[in-house]
Amino acid sequence: MQMAATQKESSDQNFDYMFKLLIIGNSSVGKTSFLFRYADDSFTSAFVSTVGIDFKVKTVYKNDKRIKLQIWDTAGQERYRTITTAYYRGAMGFILMYDITNEESFSCVQDWSTQIKTYSWDNAQVILAGNKCDMEEERVVSVDNGRMLAEQLGFDFFETSAKDNINVKQTFERLVDLICDKMSDSLETDPAVTTGTPNARLTDNPPPLQQPNCGC
Amino acid sequence: MGAMESKYSTEDINKIMATWWKTIEKKTQKPTMTIPNMHFTVPTLWGRKKSDPPAPEWPTVFSTIWRSPYTPNSFVPHFNDCVGRAAARTQEYLQFVDPEDKFIPSPTSLNEIFLMTYISQSSRLQMTNSFNCTPMTSQQRILLGADWVWAVLDRPTKNPCIQIAVQILHLPERCGERASGVSPEVCTESMQMAKMESGNRNEAERMVDFCMSIGTDCYALFLLFGRKGDPGNIYGVLSNNFGAAVGKTKINRALIENFFRGSRYLHTPTGMLQAIITKRAGDPLTLLIKFT
Ligand SMILES: Nc1nc2c(ncn2[C@@H]2O[C@H](COP(=O)(O)OP(=O)(O)OP(=O)(O)O)[C@@H](O)[C@H]2O)c(=O)[nH]1
Ligand SMILES: [Mg+2]
Repeated sequence: MQMAATQKESSDQNFDYMFKLLIIGNSSVGKTSFLFRYADDSFTSAFVSTVGIDFKVKTVYKNDKRIKLQIWDTAGQERYRTITTAYYRGAMGFILMYDITNEESFSCVQDWSTQIKTYSWDNAQVILAGNKCDMEEERVVSVDNGRMLAEQLGFDFFETSAKDNINVKQTFERLVDLICDKMSDSLETDPAVTTGTPNARLTDNPPPLQQPNCGC
Repeated sequence: MGAMESKYSTEDINKIMATWWKTIEKKTQKPTMTIPNMHFTVPTLWGRKKSDPPAPEWPTVFSTIWRSPYTPNSFVPHFNDCVGRAAARTQEYLQFVDPEDKFIPSPTSLNEIFLMTYISQSSRLQMTNSFNCTPMTSQQRILLGADWVWAVLDRPTKNPCIQIAVQILHLPERCGERASGVSPEVCTESMQMAKMESGNRNEAERMVDFCMSIGTDCYALFLLFGRKGDPGNIYGVLSNNFGAAVGKTKINRALIENFFRGSRYLHTPTGMLQAIITKRAGDPLTLLIKFT
């Protein structure tokens, strides 16, 4: 049980912004391990498949602003699909993870990306993460194949290891940067923001970026 | 965590984020949980087209046990052993009365005693390859309403094929409300966030929703640490059909206690597990169980 970890967490209410992030991908690719490494700097080799959904909170600083990351750890097993996709709504960023030693987890990346398109909003940012890169001898997905697929899908790409702490922090930092960049891009197309016009205008005439995805 | 580089000034980011956040919030709201196939024509909790629940003689479960493709299930007697020990030990503490009538053990302690006893024994019996127990994190307890989830595991894949989400209910006089480990001091921000996500459903309803989102092979088991008029025993109400009550009545302690009105057949933990395992896929099943 993670009682201790939760209680340790500061009950600090002060933050400037909150980003909702999701980690998705097949069961056993290492989503929970990745989050534990990032939030608690811990790793365990025992596998406890996540039931339904869980989350952790971590605060990062960017230009003296406190950004609270609400990071949702989804269960990869098919039986939880209804409950996990319900949490896609409002997510600003996704880490889509596969396991470089597991071909099937890589071939499912396309499906996961479709899930994002279906249940999330159009401007959500996605990073493709090929996890377990510490297991070079058992690798079945090459770095190039990973990178190529990421390019095709229009995602950023990292190979990572929750075990050896490789590119874990970098993945999250990049995702936060991407979200901030995307926000400013979309605002450039909306003069209301830059000219300081009250936000009320947005309610009357929403800019294209907030159109809900028709598919969902 | 160190500061990150950015090409934007603090002020810009401020504005950008504030506006962006607003646009996100305006995205069309979908229900936080979609519940598939909820078309009950006759809303009885028992899943039958009669208003009275089945009598003990009703040939439900036991007639089908012997046809089960699952037998022999070595974990069934093991489960009975683990749960029996956990219930017996918990009962010792449940029956504790302070002579001075001042000290009352917290519901959380009782939950933990049950779970610790169960887990120790199940690892001793090495049954976790076929039947496992996953305690929920504090966030999950609030989001999903469950204290832990038992699962029958599929042999080759080790994926769960049947699950039982368990929520412990305590007598109101013992705690006021269910022990979710949430005393004000312990209520961290994560848990507050989890509460916000869960909307206005109570914990029982959250667990029922969770089970329904998975399907009829996921059962909700409300474990009663004491009933009105019988505070020292442990009972359970198990169903994969609480969905029939959703929207018709509030799912809460009163509803659960109501199942015991009149004389009903009480299953043993073994009987409960056998009933679950041998049930035809998709069929509704509701049982009362006595654990002590
Ligand atoms: N060698 C190695 N093993 C890892 C790494 N990350 C995770 N694992 C192991 O892989 C197994 C699965 O990890 P989890 O993090 O539980 O997987 P998950 O994606 O959360 O799985 P679900 O909850 O079922 O969706 C565990 O045994 C981990 O110890 C890694 O970077 N390297
Ligand atoms: Mg997990």
